[in-house]
Amino acid sequence: MESFDKKPMFAAMKLRLQNSWMFVAFFIGFFLVWEYSVIFFDIPLYILTPPSLIVEKGAADLDRLLYYTYVTGTEVVLGYGVAVILALPLGLAIAFSSLLKRTIYPFIVCIEMVPKIAFAPLFISWLGFGLLPKVIIVFLVCFFPIVLNAILAFSSLSEELTLFCRSTGAGVWRTFFKVRLPAALPQCFVGFKYAAINATVGAAIAEFIGSDKGLGFYIQIVTGNMRPDLAFAGIFFLTLLGLSLFGIVTLAERLLIPWHISVRRT
Amino acid sequence: MSHHIEFAGLKKVFGTGPDAVQAFGPVDLSIAEGEFISLLGPSGCGKSTLMMMTSGLLEATEGTVTIGGSQVKGPQTDIGVMFQDNTLVPWRTVRGNVELQLEMRGKSLKEFSDKIDNLLASVHLEDFADRHPYELSGGMQQRAAFCQAMVHDPKTMLLDEPLGKLDAMTRERIRSDLQRLWMQERATVIFVTHSIEEAVQLSTKVAVITPRPGTIERIIEIDLPFPRDFDVKNSPEFAAYVREIQEIFRGYGVI
Ligand SMILES: Nc1ncnc2c1ncn2[C@@H]1O[C@H](COP(=O)(O)OP(=O)(O)OP(=O)(O)O)[C@@H](O)[C@H]1O
Ligand SMILES: [Mg+2]
Repeated sequence: MESFDKKPMFAAMKLRLQNSWMFVAFFIGFFLVWEYSVIFFDIPLYILTPPSLIVEKGAADLDRLLYYTYVTGTEVVLGYGVAVILALPLGLAIAFSSLLKRTIYPFIVCIEMVPKIAFAPLFISWLGFGLLPKVIIVFLVCFFPIVLNAILAFSSLSEELTLFCRSTGAGVWRTFFKVRLPAALPQCFVGFKYAAINATVGAAIAEFIGSDKGLGFYIQIVTGNMRPDLAFAGIFFLTLLGLSLFGIVTLAERLLIPWHISVRRT
Repeated sequence: MSHHIEFAGLKKVFGTGPDAVQAFGPVDLSIAEGEFISLLGPSGCGKSTLMMMTSGLLEATEGTVTIGGSQVKGPQTDIGVMFQDNTLVPWRTVRGNVELQLEMRGKSLKEFSDKIDNLLASVHLEDFADRHPYELSGGMQQRAAFCQAMVHDPKTMLLDEPLGKLDAMTRERIRSDLQRLWMQERATVIFVTHSIEEAVQLSTKVAVITPRPGTIERIIEIDLPFPRDFDVKNSPEFAAYVREIQEIFRGYGVI
């Protein structure tokens, strides 16, 4: 693939930072209002804590937070990874097989209607408090968006390009790697990104329902102990986890489809 | 000259039953080797349909297409097709898109490197070889698609409104380039256009097609010397051909 000039990208980033000072100011303002209204309205600390205290208490409990981030991160990465590995080939197969399109595809669409997270208590009762049920739940919330977008991606090559490929007499594989696959990538990434957002939500809820470690477990326990400061610290790390996954997927998108309109800048 | 492309009773109907649309034909036509024939006809008369059937990408409902003595039964890979909608892929540069045609055919890029340079230069895209299609205007994209369609040296070319999106001035220039290329290579060309003057300037023969379902109204042999430069185009003979064709279209009520 041809190289894209990276320099304008950095210039554009700088410009965006310059343009984003209002956002940054608003952000800081939000935390200041939070901080001082807790003090001003005399809100009890077991209901809401000011941001400064969240940082302080969170730092004191950093070891546990980091360990639990690692635990939840493992669930997220495994569930997401397995979902990508299984969903892509399945989506591909369904897109190219009229038999699968008439059998498995409607079935997947039906299951997609079911809120997958509702299965969480069942999986935990079947498989216990360990890693596996969480990975399965993360997998479930990631799998469907990836499969459905992959099916769409691989079945929507434009009429002209389909004819062009046929007119060259190229075989199935060559057509796939030179045209079909690159053409499908943008729509696949829609699924990857959607799934990346779902992944941490799935992991946290699964941990709420039954676990003895992880950020979801942590948030639930400290909230029960009237420690909203620590709950916020847990939420912070959960957010960080979600953003990292989303960031990695976005980075991959930028590297793999720099030509696509959703990625390129002008 | 031998009859290179032959249509015999060729007809296309889309759909079946009461919803069926008779898109084209029946048509009988022979095109000699090295001929440059233009198809001139109102929109929807089946010109693109004929191109598809000729290239073997669309099955005829009735009748046959024969190229070089063998009947067309599937995609013809030794011809060059320029589709009405452009077939550039967004992830490759202009050069990469031209190379795609070769790669799909398993041809060596090295061997064609000079050919690609020459082609791009002939349509004035040499400075844009490393740009992506989205950085090009519609007309530039069409010129790139033209290079893509003929880089593999096809002896038969089907060009479906290749100059459709170009502005009048560029169009004029590309026409002369196209004519020069054709005079060098003497490929057999079927060319679709909506411009009567373009058809008269470029072609050895102009086939005037009736409104849908398209059949051939008349075939007009254009007996003017090549290259048909400025002088030829301003000759009374040229004007007479244009007039003759205009009269036919006026008969249809389309102009
Ligand atoms: N896939 C299709 N299914 C049904 N009808 C079709 C299909 N493709 C073309 N037609 C019909 O066939 C007729 C001829 O279409 P075609 O595209 O060949 O016209 P054309 O002469 O190339 O027109 P234009 O100059 O506008 O490109 C049209 O009336 C169109 O409605
Ligand atoms: Mg057409």
